[in-house]
This record gives sequence, C-alpha cells and structure tokens, in this order.
Amino acid sequence: MSGGARKLRAAREGGQQAPYAPRDLHGRGTDKKEGWFARLWLNYKKNKAIYWMALPVVLYFLVFKYMPMYGAIIAFKDYTVGKGIWGSEWVGLQHFRDFFESYYFWRILKNTLLLSFYQLLFGFPAPILLALLLNELRHELFKRTVQTVSYIPHFISIVVICGMVVDFSARGGLFNTIITFFGGQDSALLSDPSNFRTIYTASSIWQELGFSTIIYLAALSGINPELYDASRVDGASRLRQVWHITLPGIMPMIVILLILRIGGLMEIGFEKIILLYNPNVYDTADVISTFVYRKGISEGSEFSYTTAVGLFQSVVNFILLLGANRLSKALSDNKLF
Amino acid sequence: MAQSWLRKAALLGATLILGGTALSGCSGGGEEAESKQGDGKDPISIWASLNTNVSITLKSMNEITAIKEWEKATGVQTKFEHPAVGAENEQFNVMLASSELPDVMFVYGDYSKLYNDGSIIRLNELIDEYAPNLKKILEENPEVAKQLKADNGDIYAIPHLRLGEYKTFGGMFIRQDWLDELGLEKPETLDEWETVLRAFKEKKGVNAPLLYGAPPKLSTMGPAAANFLEAYGITNTIFLRNGKVAYGPIEPEYKTFLEMFHRWYEEGLIDPDFATNDQKTFDAKILDSQAGAFFTFIGGGVGRYLPALQEKDPKANMTAVQFPVVNKGDEPMFTGRSWEWSGAGATITKSNKRPEETVKALDYFFGEEGHMLKNFGVEGETYTMVDGYPTYTDEILHNPDGLSVVQAMAKHFIANYPFVGEDDDRYNEQYYQLQQQKDAVELFSKYSDNTLEVSIPPISLTTEESNEYSKIMNDITTYRDEMFIKFVVGAEPIDNFDKFVEQIKKFDIDRAIEIQQDAVDRYNAR
Repeated sequence: MSGGARKLRAAREGGQQAPYAPRDLHGRGTDKKEGWFARLWLNYKKNKAIYWMALPVVLYFLVFKYMPMYGAIIAFKDYTVGKGIWGSEWVGLQHFRDFFESYYFWRILKNTLLLSFYQLLFGFPAPILLALLLNELRHELFKRTVQTVSYIPHFISIVVICGMVVDFSARGGLFNTIITFFGGQDSALLSDPSNFRTIYTASSIWQELGFSTIIYLAALSGINPELYDASRVDGASRLRQVWHITLPGIMPMIVILLILRIGGLMEIGFEKIILLYNPNVYDTADVISTFVYRKGISEGSEFSYTTAVGLFQSVVNFILLLGANRLSKALSDNKLF
Repeated sequence: MAQSWLRKAALLGATLILGGTALSGCSGGGEEAESKQGDGKDPISIWASLNTNVSITLKSMNEITAIKEWEKATGVQTKFEHPAVGAENEQFNVMLASSELPDVMFVYGDYSKLYNDGSIIRLNELIDEYAPNLKKILEENPEVAKQLKADNGDIYAIPHLRLGEYKTFGGMFIRQDWLDELGLEKPETLDEWETVLRAFKEKKGVNAPLLYGAPPKLSTMGPAAANFLEAYGITNTIFLRNGKVAYGPIEPEYKTFLEMFHRWYEEGLIDPDFATNDQKTFDAKILDSQAGAFFTFIGGGVGRYLPALQEKDPKANMTAVQFPVVNKGDEPMFTGRSWEWSGAGATITKSNKRPEETVKALDYFFGEEGHMLKNFGVEGETYTMVDGYPTYTDEILHNPDGLSVVQAMAKHFIANYPFVGEDDDRYNEQYYQLQQQKDAVELFSKYSDNTLEVSIPPISLTTEESNEYSKIMNDITTYRDEMFIKFVVGAEPIDNFDKFVEQIKKFDIDRAIEIQQDAVDRYNAR
C-alpha cells in the first residue's frame, strides 16, 4: 500500500522534477525504431535483478489467478464431470437467467451489498479515527500499549474469533450475561436474523481496527512537522490542525484504500459468514459467496450454475472498481490506475 | 568478527537441520517404495469417511485389525483416504470435479449419476466372474438384487447389506426416572406426549423437555421433530402415500403439525435452541439433565449417554418410547427401517487399473471367513466360539484400556457403520449390552414392516432426471427448512401456510414428484 502511495506521489511530482530517472528505468529514450522485444531485452540486461525479483509474483498471478479463469467457461455450459470442460454442452446464458429469476436472487444480492455497505460505513472510518486519536497522544508508553492491544486480534485466526463470537452470543454466554445484568432477556443472539449484521460488522471492526490503523499512522508520520509549528504560530487549535493539516496529509491514502474497498464491495468475507451463520439467519446472512459454496460444493454439486453466480459477482466487482476509480479521479485527481 | 562467526554457525545449524529432515524424508520414502515392491504394485486406494468411533483410537482404517487381516488373506495392499470430518460432501464433490479419483470410493451416492458422468464403472460382469460370494447372495435374495440393480439391470456398487432381523437403529428415548417420579405412563399419542412434556417443564423445570436438533446436519428439523410429524402419516420429504409419491410439507397434515409444534415452542416444551444445536450442545443438554426426551441411536447413543448419566445420578434411567401416533391404537408407519441394501456401497472408479483384483478382494467380506472378520474380528483375540456362537471377549466388552464397547469394536473390526459386507444379527445381540437397549430394539422393530409401505425404495434416476431433481429440491429444501423454523418460532404466522405451499409449487415440486414417481414405477417393474 505504501508502494501505491509512493507511486502516487511520484506521479504527482514526476511532472516537474527528475525527468531523467524514470526514463532510464523504463528503457525509454533509446532509439524509437527498435522493436518492443529488443527494448525489453535491453531493459532486462540493465535491470536483471528487478526482473528476477518480479518473476515469482508474475508466476503467482498467472498460475493462481489467470489459469483458473479458463474454468469459468463452464458458466456457459452444462458441465458434467464425465464429459469434461470442453465436452460439455453449451447452454449460453441459461445459468445466469436461472439465477436472476431465482427466488433467492434478491435476498442474497441485498445481503451482500448491505453487509458490505455496513462494513464500509462503520468499518472504514474507524481506523482513521483511531489513528487521529493516537496521533494526538503525547504519552508514548500509553500510545504504544493502546496500539499493541488493539492490533493483537488481527493475528488470531478467524476460526478462533468466530468460535469466540458464537460462544459469547449463545444462551448464557458472555454477551447474554451482560445483557441480563442490565435487565435484558437471555436469548440466542445468533439465531435472530436482526442481530446478524450488527454482530458481523462489530466483530470485524474489533478485529481489524488496530491493524488497519498502522497504515494511517505511517502516513501521518510523513507529514512535515513544520506545518504544525507554523499553524500553532498562527494560533490554530488542535482540532483546526487535524482538519487543515492532518486530514489533507493522509487524504491520498484514504482515497486509495477507499477505492480498493469499493472494488471488493461484493466480495464479502465468506469464511467469516460460514463460521457465524446458521439456517435461522439466512434471511440476513446468506450472501453470494456462501450461496455459491452451499449450492456448489457443500450441499449440492451444481458446478455450472454456481460458477455463473460467482462470475456475476466478479463482473459487478470489476464495474464497481472502475467506477470508484473514475469518480475519485474526477473529484480529487487521486487514482489507482 | 564475532558476529559473522555466529551467523555462520547459525547457518550451518540450519543447514544440518534441513538436511536431516530431507534425509529422513528420503529414507521414509525408500521404505514405502520397498514395501510396495513386495508384490510389484501400488496399493489400492480406498476413499471412505472415517467413522468417529474409529478416529478416537486410530488415524486410518488401515490400522483396523480386520483390515490388516483382510489384506493378509487376499494378498491385496490397500491405502485408505479419509476426508476431513464434517467436510465429506465438499471433498467428495471437489474430488469428482478434479477427476483425480482413487481406485475405490465408498459412498452413499447417486450411483447412476456417477456412472453416467463416467466416474465409476459397471460391475455386473466383474461380479459374475470374480465375486462368487456376493453373486450367491444376490441369487438367493432376489429382493436384494432388485434393490441393488439400476433400472437397466446395471450394478454399480459392492453393497453393504442388512439381511438379518435388525433394521431399525434409533428412536425416541425418555427419562424413565422422571416418568416414575411424576407417576406418569409412557406417552403413546401426541396428546399424551404434550401432557408428559408439560409435566417435565413444570415439575422438573427443565429447559428442553423435548430436545431435538441437528446432529450431523441431518436437517434443521432433526430426526426427533420428524418423529412427531410422522405421527400424522406424512414425513418431511418425499414418501409414498397409498403407493403414490407425495411431498410431506405440502400435505394438509403438515399444517396441523406446525400448529402443534408452534404451540409447544411457545409453551417452552421444546428446546428453544433447536435450530442452532450441534452435537456438542445436544450432548451437553442430555448429560446436564436438561432434556426429557430426545431421538438417539440404540447403540452409539444410549451406550454413551446412559452410563454417563448414571455416573452422576445412579437413579437416572432412559427407556425407549414407541414412535408416536395421533390416536390410541394407531400403528406408526415411519420407523426409520433400513432397506436390505442400506444404500451404501463401494464403487470402482475408472482410474482403477486392477478392477478384477479389487472386486475379488472386496468379495472376501461376503464369504464365511470375511463375514466373521468384518463382524467379530479375529478368533481368540476379539471373539471365541461358545457352542457355535461367536462371543466377544473382554477386549471388546470390558476393554482393558477403558474403551467403550462401540469404540473397542471400531478399533478391531467394522460392524457399527456401513462397509462392504453383511451385518450379522449376533453382533447386534451382543452390541446392545444394556437391558434398555435390548428393550429398545424390540420396541422399535415392532412396526418396522409398515415402513416399507411408505418409504421410497432404492430407485435410480437418469442423469438428466437427477440433475433436474436435485436442482428443484435444493431450492425447496432450503426454503422448507427456513420456513419450518419461522413457523415454529412464530416469525411467520401459520395462516401463511397456503403461501408456503404455493411457493413450493412455484419451485416446481410437481415435476420433482413426477420424476420420483417415474423412477418408483420403473423400480416396481424391475
């Protein structure tokens, strides 16, 4: 992520200064008549180490991200194991049509979007707020302690976290003990569809809050302290400083993270829902990915149908990502690509 | 200087450790290769889920005494592959999709679909030639042959058979000590059940007078709830109504049942957590004496709960209750009776290079020696012949390592769960050690023949039918389970039952019923 920020800063500042360095790196500026491959070769000879370092990453994406895309064609086929991917019959958009007409379509679409939206609405600003608060702290030891305590949950496996949440929400669990202490009713919290979104979002924030803060703290440390000194001379209060110096200072970071979050809006954490939900709360908890999982491999084996559903989700994600990038470019000149 | 020396030493140490593991890895591999070379072949790989009673003491079915003896007797080497517990279905589907199949898959499956997909092979000729024992059984029991064969006469599985008396393995159990304490009789009709449960609630103050739930994911309804639904002569899924296929949840009786169950829920007569129970919470409620009545299995359930309960409270007692009915004197129809072919069987995959040898080896279990090995283990070790009756030794009945009967059995042979071969009644007679278990099996078996009139026989569907059917039923099942919970807890008023039926019809239940009816007709014509 910090690489992204650097790239961004370089892109912004690159216009005026250091015109020579990037040229050299990209091998431009040599004879234009040479072919692309010749230029690549030249560049390779110059930056051997970098190319070799990039190789595993490129291979990773090829093998694990691009090759499996081949399998996505079964979304347009009636896939049976015996006939294989190529041998199965083409059915066009039949599976997509089935999905859009399905009884569950609106429900899982709504749940996916709502859960993501809540995550964004409450989960996105939370680390920014914590980072700002920590930034204002002057007591080093206290600051460090808060930071450490708040990011520890990030390192606990999601399985353990969910196990804890499930136990705490059960009848007679920790949450219920607290609720009954204040005069509430002891009930199985995770069996009530109206609780699911709250529990899901709150536990996600709790787990990721501290860790997400680190990025913002890093960005905060990059702000020139002279700006604060100058503003203090001008008589700015601390709130004013936050508003006029700190926030604009980390704005590029905020925007980039926001774009990434919007791109993944439909890709709601599927393991976590699987670990938390039960048939009682499908009404609010069943999302596209859990639906695909159940229909595709755990309860049914409708490979083609679920591939189509998964593909639909990816396409919507892609559109959202492009849209967010566009919007951010138009509004603030910050963009990812 | 000192630092760089340290670093070198550390590096050397790390190299040694890594090298060591690499070497030991090599030697391990070498041994395996050698043992394989013993007969110059790879072992036959068998995919089967690992029974929980086995996994308590062993890591793989290869370690079971009977399997080792079987390998010795047939000269075949096997290698069992077990899916992770709870993920059997997923791993099976992924395995099929990957087309990387083991040699043998032991499944409860849609065999015709597996065959039509090209995953498994037809076994008729192989059985004729290499499985004389199984062939003899099929010839002597035409009813079994009818169940095993697909509509076109194909056989796809080396079956697990139950030809003896015992075909019902579970039912409702009740806390007999509470009944005695409150001066109540065992309930027979639904009204009597209500009275008893209310007494448990009011006088014993328990949370779950009727406990039910979903140990291992049977359905959200759980087997116990189904028992009360079945009192009305219908069930939770497809069944035969006067010889015709019908779907329980859209029958009018289902509404009556929902009304009753909703009332019970409101009154606190049934476990309020019914939809979130798992095996752990289910067990805990029984052992904490919070549950008055529940469904469990005679062997694995009672054998586990009763001793544990009596350890805490010597007076605790649980006994079997007959399947409930609506009117006194009615006979229960649904008793969970198994067919002669339990539906489980070993299939030979297309990847199997030596199908003849495999079938021959599996057929061993249908012969005299194999049959004894499967059900009783090794003579002198796990059983002795007393007047021609194979009697388990103390290794099984009073295990020196403190294993329960079912665990000790699971360690030495394969009797408590489906596997290739035939179950022996003499195993069940000794398996049920407690008087409560002996009474239970008699009680539950009393009406078990009625079940044949209402349950769908082991039919087979064509690939197209099977795809269409599972697509329809997938939606319906999810919907039914969700709505069942809503109706019971009152999130959906029972007045909306007609809408519920309408929605199920919209999912095209009629087509699903038609598919099943055709298949049943074909079955009857076999």
